[in-house]
Amino acid sequence: MEQQRSLEETPPTGVSVAHKRGWRRNSSNAPGKTSRGKAARKAKRQGISLRASMAVLTGRLVGALSRRLGFGGGTSIAGLTAQRISPDIVKRLAAELEYGSIMVTGTNGKTTTSGFIAAALRESGLRVWRNREGSNLMGGIANALVMRALPHGRLRRKGRAIAVFEVDEAVIKKATQAVSPRVLVFTNLFRDQLDRYGEVDSIATRWQQTINALSTNSILVLNADDPATADLGRTFEGQVLYFGIDDPALDLAAQPDTAARHQVMDTRVCPQCGRDYEYTLRYYSHLGHYFCPSCGNIRPQPDVRATRVHADAFDRMRINITSGDREAKAQEIVLPLPGLYNVYNALAAVTAAQALHIGWEPTIIGIEQFKPAFGRGERVQVEGRTLRLLLAKNPTGYNEVLRTLFSEGASRHVLCILNDNSADGRDVSWIWDIDVEQAIGHTATLVLGGTRALDLALRFKYAGMSQDAMMIVPPAPLRALKREALRVNRNSKGRKNKQSVNIEKGALAAETPRDGITAALDAAIHMTPIGETLFVIPTYTGLLEIHRELERRGLTPHYWEGQDR
Amino acid sequence: MKRESAPRLTLKLGHLYPDQLNLYGDRGNILALRRRCQQRGIELRVISLGIGDALAPDEYDLLFIGGGQDREQAPVARDLYEVKGIGLWAAIEDDMPVLAVCGGYQLLSHYYRPAQGPDMRGLGVFDAWTIHKGPRAPRCVGDIAITWNGSTLVGFENHGGRTYLGTAQPLGTVLKGYGNNAEDRSEGAMYRNAYGTYMHGSLLPKNPHFTDYLITLATRRTYGLQAQLSQNEIRANDVEPLAPLDDRLEWEAHAALLERMGLHSAANAALQVT
Repeated sequence: MEQQRSLEETPPTGVSVAHKRGWRRNSSNAPGKTSRGKAARKAKRQGISLRASMAVLTGRLVGALSRRLGFGGGTSIAGLTAQRISPDIVKRLAAELEYGSIMVTGTNGKTTTSGFIAAALRESGLRVWRNREGSNLMGGIANALVMRALPHGRLRRKGRAIAVFEVDEAVIKKATQAVSPRVLVFTNLFRDQLDRYGEVDSIATRWQQTINALSTNSILVLNADDPATADLGRTFEGQVLYFGIDDPALDLAAQPDTAARHQVMDTRVCPQCGRDYEYTLRYYSHLGHYFCPSCGNIRPQPDVRATRVHADAFDRMRINITSGDREAKAQEIVLPLPGLYNVYNALAAVTAAQALHIGWEPTIIGIEQFKPAFGRGERVQVEGRTLRLLLAKNPTGYNEVLRTLFSEGASRHVLCILNDNSADGRDVSWIWDIDVEQAIGHTATLVLGGTRALDLALRFKYAGMSQDAMMIVPPAPLRALKREALRVNRNSKGRKNKQSVNIEKGALAAETPRDGITAALDAAIHMTPIGETLFVIPTYTGLLEIHRELERRGLTPHYWEGQDR
Repeated sequence: MKRESAPRLTLKLGHLYPDQLNLYGDRGNILALRRRCQQRGIELRVISLGIGDALAPDEYDLLFIGGGQDREQAPVARDLYEVKGIGLWAAIEDDMPVLAVCGGYQLLSHYYRPAQGPDMRGLGVFDAWTIHKGPRAPRCVGDIAITWNGSTLVGFENHGGRTYLGTAQPLGTVLKGYGNNAEDRSEGAMYRNAYGTYMHGSLLPKNPHFTDYLITLATRRTYGLQAQLSQNEIRANDVEPLAPLDDRLEWEAHAALLERMGLHSAANAALQVT
């Protein structure tokens, strides 16, 4: 029994893992100790598995406690704790997955792309595990595995299991070092949260290092239309699959809106010779058909390409997709989400599915029946109005959301929320790179909320929006906020000991002061006539707050359960 | 529309390296200048000056340089020194107002010494130099407020390099934040009408008094005594010659940031401006 267990423990990934373990064993040998026999080695190995078991147990315990007590950070606390106890827990557990793992990274589209991939894989009969939305640092990945591990430190129900991890672009190097993915998808590289990540170039450098260290058994899936992403494939010696759009009708030059042509571009320089790229087709930001006029560096031919993209309605995109090996047969997918950015997400997912030899049918069904992830076009009914939540966390994402909303010339009800918490990026300079000009004159109501509502209002003002046309709901003044927070803390402390979490939540709901975002949401809802749609465009933490607020009103499924369908 | 009278004056803004140095919402600064000019009946013409373009010292009324990434900054530094250096020097000596933010500010001082690699030569307009103390030195990131001209400026800073001033005068004294080097509470530098600063966020929209100050410098320099703005005739030494605008929103945003930094009396003062 003991023997069998230790055999099973040796992960199939082999060399690097075994090597690391050997190193660990040696390093833990005190110099005074003499040679060890078989039994000692076995005991040592048992010690390691004991440690894994400890890690899983403690992690899950802490996770359960944290959830029960309603602390924040519950989406990664179990993983973080387990990693503390056994630093290689992720490597050990991931190695047990029968179908391995897939990682999706990039600035925009990680969540939706991994959602599409998961849907396609599920449709093909696999058991899909994912890390929770937004918990895409190492702790979140560890959490996803640890929460599914048994107390003896092994995964449960690992047959036909495959993991789809959405990984933050800044930690992808660490993640691939811990788990060698079968498929690694890079969606795109834009300017995002500069104060947290450094500059776009430093992310590109980190990605290149990731590729350099990547096993050639992994398959890279890259966006051919994004120069910064496509470049990663040039030096990789394993298999690379590109996806891209080949529809000249989508060229920015063909768009009526001139503002869109002057969008920010986050990558413009050829990395080989330093000349600016030129474009024969440009879709948005720096995505398109580019070439370097000096050294001839050119967009790679995509293996999976969209030959025609047509918007049937706001959130119905009809895409014809051709994959390289079946040139003749174009497949049609009806995408249930708005915007060209989601077409790229679907293409990335189709390409990843092809890399895993998943057939067209499950892929198409998976994508077409996809339910929008949290804040990615999610639809909620509130007091007779329809809310659409459209997360926008960087200029490119924002521009695409605005373009999708206002391209039809319809008048929209809009609530924009700008926060500057650390998950949003503390620097709000990026709002000046949004083309809010395209919204001027097309907003039936415009409500601005969040910690930096006033900055956003200035942005609209300098775009020519009249101050009467916008309603600003700034956060409460700082001093007042502090007093309120103190009061709430005092009140909730007394309740910590109570058994029922629900009671506590209910109590909080009644007592929490109506902060800026709640007030902004209410104002926007009431300014939207019954039967019409209110488009909510929040930054990341703004989305979380909106979600929490809707949840409190019993309008959305609980965030914790939002993971598996 | 009614506030925007037909343009009677024109200012030419030279925007240096808009393609390379465009990192920190620099568009906000241009937008603020343009709009505030427009509302005073001044047409602001923005001319992009890229790599290789010559800079004639008498062709512009106002210059702006933004910040960029290190990779993009090196060719810019070369071009600034070799192609535009003499023209820029002449313009600055002739009192042309210049606003240089972040990377642009570093390029106008003597040199930038990166964590690795050779020094980047700057123009030396400001008697100052910048040193990056290696990848382990923390970046200076966060909201910042400084004193300026009896009032305050607010913004956001994000820089790895530390700038030390020689004889150059700082733009202001740091109230909250890091400033030039997180040591001596100085922020930015000035020489004649050239201003260098680490503050973006964007700087000008939330600091309308500074924006107007730059516009005033430019109109006064270009049009001198003859300038007619709104109904008032400008005298050369008039401090506030521009017609006042409704800046309540600007000052509210300004004060909100001050208050978040705990600078309550400064916030109150800012709200009293309007």
